[in-house]
Amino acid sequence: MADQPAAPARAGYLRLAGLTKVFPGEGGPQGAAVAGIDLEVAHGELLAVLGPSGCGKSTTLRMIAGLIEPSAGTVEVGGRDITRLPVHRRDMGVVFQSYALFPHLDVFRNVAFGLEMRKTAKSEVRTRVARALDLVRLGHLGDRRVSQLSGGQQQRVALARALVIEPAVLLLDEPLSNLDAQLRGAMRDEIRRIHDETGITTVFVTHDQREALSMADRVAVMNAGRVEQLGTPEEVYERPSGRFTAEFVGRANLLPGTVTATHGAGGGAGAEVAIPGLGTVRATGDAVTPEGRATVMLRPHRITLRAAGKADAGPRGTVLSAGYSGEVIGYRVRAAHDGPELEVEHPAGAGTAFGPGAEVLIGWDDAAPRLVADDGDPA
Amino acid sequence: MRSGPVARIGWAVLLTVLYLFLLAPVIIVFIESFDTSTYLRFPPQGFSLEPYRQVFANPDFQAGLKVSAVTAATTTLLALLCGVPAALALTRLRFRGRGAVEAAFLSPLLVPNIVLGLALLILFAPIPLTDTYWGLILAHLGVTIPYVVRTVTAALAGADPRAEEAAATLGAGPFTVFRRVTLPAIRPGLFSGGIIAFLLSFDETVISLFVSGHTVRPLPVAVLQYVEYRSDPSIAALSVCLVLLSVVAVVLVERGLGLRRSLRP
Ligand SMILES: Nc1ncnc2c1ncn2[C@@H]1O[C@H](COP(=O)(O)OP(=O)(O)OP(=O)(O)O)[C@@H](O)[C@H]1O
Ligand SMILES: [Mg+2]
Repeated sequence: MADQPAAPARAGYLRLAGLTKVFPGEGGPQGAAVAGIDLEVAHGELLAVLGPSGCGKSTTLRMIAGLIEPSAGTVEVGGRDITRLPVHRRDMGVVFQSYALFPHLDVFRNVAFGLEMRKTAKSEVRTRVARALDLVRLGHLGDRRVSQLSGGQQQRVALARALVIEPAVLLLDEPLSNLDAQLRGAMRDEIRRIHDETGITTVFVTHDQREALSMADRVAVMNAGRVEQLGTPEEVYERPSGRFTAEFVGRANLLPGTVTATHGAGGGAGAEVAIPGLGTVRATGDAVTPEGRATVMLRPHRITLRAAGKADAGPRGTVLSAGYSGEVIGYRVRAAHDGPELEVEHPAGAGTAFGPGAEVLIGWDDAAPRLVADDGDPA
Repeated sequence: MRSGPVARIGWAVLLTVLYLFLLAPVIIVFIESFDTSTYLRFPPQGFSLEPYRQVFANPDFQAGLKVSAVTAATTTLLALLCGVPAALALTRLRFRGRGAVEAAFLSPLLVPNIVLGLALLILFAPIPLTDTYWGLILAHLGVTIPYVVRTVTAALAGADPRAEEAAATLGAGPFTVFRRVTLPAIRPGLFSGGIIAFLLSFDETVISLFVSGHTVRPLPVAVLQYVEYRSDPSIAALSVCLVLLSVVAVVLVERGLGLRRSLRP
């Protein structure tokens, strides 16, 4: 960050540099609520901030919006430092988790509020509010009281209210967490569609990894006030940088072992790792300790189980339990007799189902094993 | 709760007796206010509206009514102007010594009015603020602001601070946020607080006795001084008028509170 103070043509439209918040009375062993975040969001990008409860997602978002004053660091939009700019002059649309609609105004007046603040002409207010309400598919409910709306409808009013001002940046703080599963799925697609239609730079906070992976252009995985990893959904899922990301973004078997050989470098790097009970596993990645130890990540759905015949070679295991959950069957399998316990997922209805005690052969997709830095921070 | 008919009748009787006990003075005063006799005694000697005519013709009462109305109106306005920002600060800001400030705002409620009155007399006499409108209003502010702070604080507790933040992100400055979002949310509380302040000031007697004089004499003090020398049905008539005023105010407060309830989703 300290290099090139006046770099021209910045890639980041929204830039956070060293953004930190220490709440009064905090700063014990836990440290700051937000501990120095550096982040760049490109113009028109949809970035998801994903992390567990209490990791500082809302605090970060509220600092971007200007609702919380940072203890240190800067917020820039379009190359302009807005760290000290008051909330009402920042031109940011915010959708709160609780929606925070104005209870004394009807739907139309709620959405029109931001335009009225901008002294937009009456006729233009009417057309723009109507367009925003159409965008969230609420065109017919303009004169409803907000208390007469369902949760999903209120959420869409909040979205329309934030969108209608065509803000520089749209900030969404877990806007879907109060909705039921079905509505959440629909709203997820809706928000992505609206984002694509409007092209507004968007930061979307969530603790739901499926939401983050399915909606975002890039995902910032947060833990304990820091960004653990920033990358495309595929990157954070397939190539997590550390144990925390591997376990928080989807489920993972993390298997420690001894490196017997390494090859390649950079993107093509790989290693052979001897894992007790599984034999030698070929994995991609370069996260190898100087002592020659490594941790291999295997996603449960990329492991296959076959009924074991007497003569079959390869790693074997015993099914400990099987759990049916509609689309998949989740198994727990003990590799060898004293090897690691594995989580395995099979599509339900495909192939043989195994019961507890069954002897199985354990196999996996060749591309699946991935080296993950063991930051010693189990999720 | 399930109860037999005997228990229910028992409750009804008890409640009726209780209400009669509470209302008896009002009823007796109401009956007496139409008496034709020249002094107060029960039962009345006849029926006439003469006592009411006397009340409205009495120059002391006329002057007192004017003083009380002006004082109560000004007090209410000022109490709201001081109490609302105080309540806002107490609910929306986190600052060192918040508890102490809150206690300071509510402490006049703990001091007996007679002590307050005496203290104010000692304080006001040399300035001199005794026997002036401003003295009276200042004194009444001391006892009305705590109530305004309380009602407005309660109203603010029910208002969503996130809605205020949302308004700010949409481009509303602090004052606009207050006017367009906070104020509508606490309006019923303001309304009740204002009416309570008005009634308190209008009825206030003890403190007023200390700080008022001959030129600026509020109605309750005028009434007190009147009954020192005489007691005739016109005092009963005046009481009825005051009770009616209070009843109207309480109904308005009820409306205000009811309104607040209906605003909740
Ligand atoms: N006003 C505050 N005063 C003191 N501490 C706070 C305040 N707001 C948040 N914190 C603390 O800061 C940390 C981060 O909080 P934050 O609300 O940003 O978490 P989050 O990631 O949004 O969590 P969630 O998913 O539960 O909403 C938490 O430990 C929280 O207790
Ligand atoms: Mg949060």
